[in-house]
Amino acid sequence: MTPSAGPATEERVPRWRPAGRAAQLRVLTARQIRLVYADRRVVLFSVAQPVVMLLLISQVFGSLADRSILPRGVSYIEFLLPALLVTTGIGTSQSAGVGLVRDMEGGMVRRFRVLPLSLPMVLVARSIADLTRSGMQLLVLVVAGHLLFGYRAGGGAVGLVAALALSTVVIWSLIWIFIALAAWLRKVEVLSSIGFFVSFPLMFASSAFVPVDVLPGWLAAVATVNPVSHAVEASRSLALGGQVGSEVTAALCAALGLMAAMTVLAARAVRRPPDE
Amino acid sequence: MAVDQVIRATGLRKRFGAVQALDGVDLTVARGEIMGLLGHNGAGKTTLVNVLSTLTPPTSGTASVAGFDVAGRPDEVRRRIGVTGQFAALDEELSGHDNLVLVARLCGASKAQAAGRADELLEAFGLRAAAGRRAATYSGGMRRRLDLALGLVGRPDVLFLDEPSVGLDLPSRLGLWERVQGLARDGTAVLLTTQYLEEADRLADRITVLGAGRVLASGTAVELKARAGSGSISLRVGPQGDRTVAAEALGRAGFPSDVDDGRGELTVPAGDSADLAVVIRVLDAVGQNVTEIRYAEPSLDDVYLAFTATAPDAPAPAAAALDRPPAPAPARAAPRITLPEAERRTGDTPETP
Repeated sequence: MTPSAGPATEERVPRWRPAGRAAQLRVLTARQIRLVYADRRVVLFSVAQPVVMLLLISQVFGSLADRSILPRGVSYIEFLLPALLVTTGIGTSQSAGVGLVRDMEGGMVRRFRVLPLSLPMVLVARSIADLTRSGMQLLVLVVAGHLLFGYRAGGGAVGLVAALALSTVVIWSLIWIFIALAAWLRKVEVLSSIGFFVSFPLMFASSAFVPVDVLPGWLAAVATVNPVSHAVEASRSLALGGQVGSEVTAALCAALGLMAAMTVLAARAVRRPPDE
Repeated sequence: MAVDQVIRATGLRKRFGAVQALDGVDLTVARGEIMGLLGHNGAGKTTLVNVLSTLTPPTSGTASVAGFDVAGRPDEVRRRIGVTGQFAALDEELSGHDNLVLVARLCGASKAQAAGRADELLEAFGLRAAAGRRAATYSGGMRRRLDLALGLVGRPDVLFLDEPSVGLDLPSRLGLWERVQGLARDGTAVLLTTQYLEEADRLADRITVLGAGRVLASGTAVELKARAGSGSISLRVGPQGDRTVAAEALGRAGFPSDVDDGRGELTVPAGDSADLAVVIRVLDAVGQNVTEIRYAEPSLDDVYLAFTATAPDAPAPAAAALDRPPAPAPARAAPRITLPEAERRTGDTPETP
């Protein structure tokens, strides 16, 4: 065959038009969900994790917590569970980040870079897949709270569902923090060590486990500006019922603002060539 | 598309911090041509492939692949290329079939088209029986075949093969080579990077030797060998023979020889295989009975050394950089009398312009 000869037999088949973004996202999300749930053991343990948190924290802190420091008429489990709905997402987000780095190191994401597709869609797919796992964790947490401690949301079903919905949005934004970190850092070791410095203060320097007013002054100051505190307060007020104030608006604004910033950063980071 | 030169690069430069990875590379590859890119680690092979496959933009210079500028229209380039490398880029947890379907769907195929294309490729790459198994369970050779198949899902005009045989056993490597040759026959241009000289010799229509980010030499294997110098004749004389006498006689006849007493061999430089007869006659005349004799062309080893040694800043041609593939026998160790290599690639390889 000479170079000027026509295309080979195979190439007479018309070339496909690259998938549109929506189609890319569908295909990529389906892939990512399969991968996130590929190993049953990982799923089992990650779903069981918040239950362990619930058991330990309710017993360790609950035994110390003086009823008088809690809002009037609220048990520690009522105080804690809505907070766990939010803080559970921190661990999940970190593992989403680690998963993304692994994915980017070898594997398919290397190939995605030379396919005609939008790389940020890979990240969106990842965030959605991990969010579904978080959703399962939240449901398990509520059921465990009910079965083990007779938890009932003061705000009733509506309040509980609202708290779950708000937590889901907050967790989505937390996932994006770690996706952006992962896309920038691209090393599991670096991500895990930095992840600790991000996740522990987010979780503990907050109003999640004790009310802010009992914290030492400096920590109370940190906890007040911690976006997780706002989310926890919002989730708690929804679940407890009664007056729902500005906490919810504040939490949603913080989450959506954070998510917007992180998606921009992550999209820039993931487009960076692999060797630079 | 009426582009004959499906890869056309001019003055490509790429700098990473203090490292000038590419320092003005020109390269053209025609439809249906296999271009071998040969060089040490760090010579710039992978960077060149990364630039041409739109993974990383050049610092300066231009390149078009399949008719589109790599920096300006990367998405059009990506529709027309396939990339496969030393690290199999696939989803371990998905089956071979599902890996292929995934890539086809992302390339824009409908579900039915994707399934059809997956089956075609599984068949063509001998993976039908393993189609439903997780890729994690595949052997090294199967993974590499799947990786190559994944690179071909979109029916690329240009295929980039980055060190495709690293870590493959001999049968897998031979199988891979056959497939690559088949693709080129069907019109796909192939850019193959390798450190294995034998691989470049076997597969490539033309070879470009890179060193320190520059093109040191380029041409067919035969041309490069010719430029690298002469071949050699190695021989043994019979038990009654005397290597010293033989060496003196050869020296008088214009064949300065190296005597290797350890191996009991004499080696003389030779222009071509016609010198075999001359050497035998010279030795016969002084009563030396030749029991073994063979002619060896300059190998690509020699080519490689000849060109890379002249590269500024080129690392010393250390053993590591000259690794041969672990298993296959090099051409030199072959039969007792090796005639000059006939055209190994016969048939319909395209004329290189």
